[in-house]
Amino acid sequence: MESPDDQRSAGTGADEWKYRPSAGLDQSLLQRLGGFPREPEPLVYALRSASGLLLRTWLRSYHRLQILGRENLPGEGSFVLVANHSSHLDALCLVSAFSLARLHRVFPAAAADYFFSNMARTAFSAVFINALPFHREVHGEQSLTVCTALLENPGNVLIIFPEGTRSITGEIDRFRSGIGRLLLGTSIPAVPCRLEGASAAWPKGRKIPRPKKVRVIIGRPRSYETMPATRESVREICRDLEEAVRLLATGRDPR
Amino acid sequence: MTVDAALSSEILRFYAALVGSIIVLAGLVLFVVTVVFGKDIRPIWRTYRGWLIMTPLVVGFIIAGRTAVIVGVCLLALFGFREFARATGLYRDWWMTGVVMVAIIGVAAVSIASDPRIRTPGWYGLFMALPVYVVGLLLVIPVLRNRTRGQLQSTALAVLGFVYFGWMFAHLGFLANTSHAYGYLLYLLFAVEVNDIAAFCFGKLFGRHKLRSEVSPNKTVEGSLGALAVSLVLPWLLSFSFPHFGTLQLVLTGLIVGIGGQLGDLTISFIKRDIGIKDMGAVIPGHGGVLDRIDSLIFVAPLFFHMVRWFYGIA
Repeated sequence: MESPDDQRSAGTGADEWKYRPSAGLDQSLLQRLGGFPREPEPLVYALRSASGLLLRTWLRSYHRLQILGRENLPGEGSFVLVANHSSHLDALCLVSAFSLARLHRVFPAAAADYFFSNMARTAFSAVFINALPFHREVHGEQSLTVCTALLENPGNVLIIFPEGTRSITGEIDRFRSGIGRLLLGTSIPAVPCRLEGASAAWPKGRKIPRPKKVRVIIGRPRSYETMPATRESVREICRDLEEAVRLLATGRDPR
Repeated sequence: MTVDAALSSEILRFYAALVGSIIVLAGLVLFVVTVVFGKDIRPIWRTYRGWLIMTPLVVGFIIAGRTAVIVGVCLLALFGFREFARATGLYRDWWMTGVVMVAIIGVAAVSIASDPRIRTPGWYGLFMALPVYVVGLLLVIPVLRNRTRGQLQSTALAVLGFVYFGWMFAHLGFLANTSHAYGYLLYLLFAVEVNDIAAFCFGKLFGRHKLRSEVSPNKTVEGSLGALAVSLVLPWLLSFSFPHFGTLQLVLTGLIVGIGGQLGDLTISFIKRDIGIKDMGAVIPGHGGVLDRIDSLIFVAPLFFHMVRWFYGIA
């Protein structure tokens, strides 16, 4: 039989409190910023929202940013935004296509070997761009797993530039296979997206952007749920998305 | 407390020289141990580097004056509370953590402001009354949000977070409003660290009996008593820090630092052990989190402050 004393020491009768410590307790803030997924930090959110507002103002005034086909963005659920890449402006423009409230759920995949290579870049990429560190040289599969996990949570947006790097000429390069492997056999929608004028406004190698017009054209979402799991399907997805992005030039109907 | 007053303060000069020589001496000892005896003591060097950065920072804030000290204490309280929130999981509730953080800044503002009635620096009345309003506000949050699930735990953690890590610790900042600020602040900071180190050394040398086996298995009765003995002697050695103190006040100071410091340490220990973590964070390399460093001060500062206020008032 339990003595009254035992009952008292067993607590208040209610269930024990459940503590759920943060996963990155033994890491410094910078280490946490460099990792992924990142936990929500009020201070980081505040900085990102403020910088997002400034960024929009700058893009709309200096680059007269125009966003077409915004109605094609799926309202809820996670999806991948697939775009051509020729400038540092690209990710900034694409992020600006979303509402400020959704900003913290939009993750441009960024080359870890560049954007997370030192302390300053890590802080900048994580705080202001909300970048997902993507290891394009090694651990490619591991990075894809991180992307898949991100997309399994509803409401997240992943921005991917399947060319893998900025095009120097402004022409669209061949899409790498990662995007195909990510999307094959899943119901996650892929939204093709064309960036125009970014390469002229801020080409690779230039320090300061020029005040040229930039346009974002968003196409209709597509998914590759029913394709067979073969290498050919992966290539097919890449070709399809590349074609879709190419066709989204101005003058054509984005739908 | 102004920069000029700080630079002409003999107490500050003494403590700066004392701590400076201790750091240089400790560095030499570590150097000899590493180079002459060839021992690998990299973790100790890491802790030492932490001190090399922290000590000048603390002295710098004290030289910079009253407002700087209060702001510095406020920043430590904010970081400390953040660690507590991250460790307990409270940080997922942005309302609770947000209100507590604003309240901690509010405590600092009240410490900096002057009493509108008697125009002395530091609004003591509101400083003491603030927990009433903050606890009230925290209790109202679940009502306003129309939520019940887990809210008792959140509110309780937030109340503890504010009252202990925010408000009780803020008494250290409020000491900057007193007329013997340099002596009080520098003595407390120094004595609390000495107490910690003494407990560690006595424990290592003579430690046989566990002090609190469940809470902190590495602490011993011998270490604790040794630290208390050192802390009781220290006020007499450094009595020029508070020349107006009589025997009673010197003894009380020794008891507050000697007992309170160790209780503060054990308090954080039981919190960590209940949650099941080792360190509160990783902000200071070689020291763990902010709370692992300031744990003793949180407990000692309010006890010392109210002892001083009882006998001598604030100004």
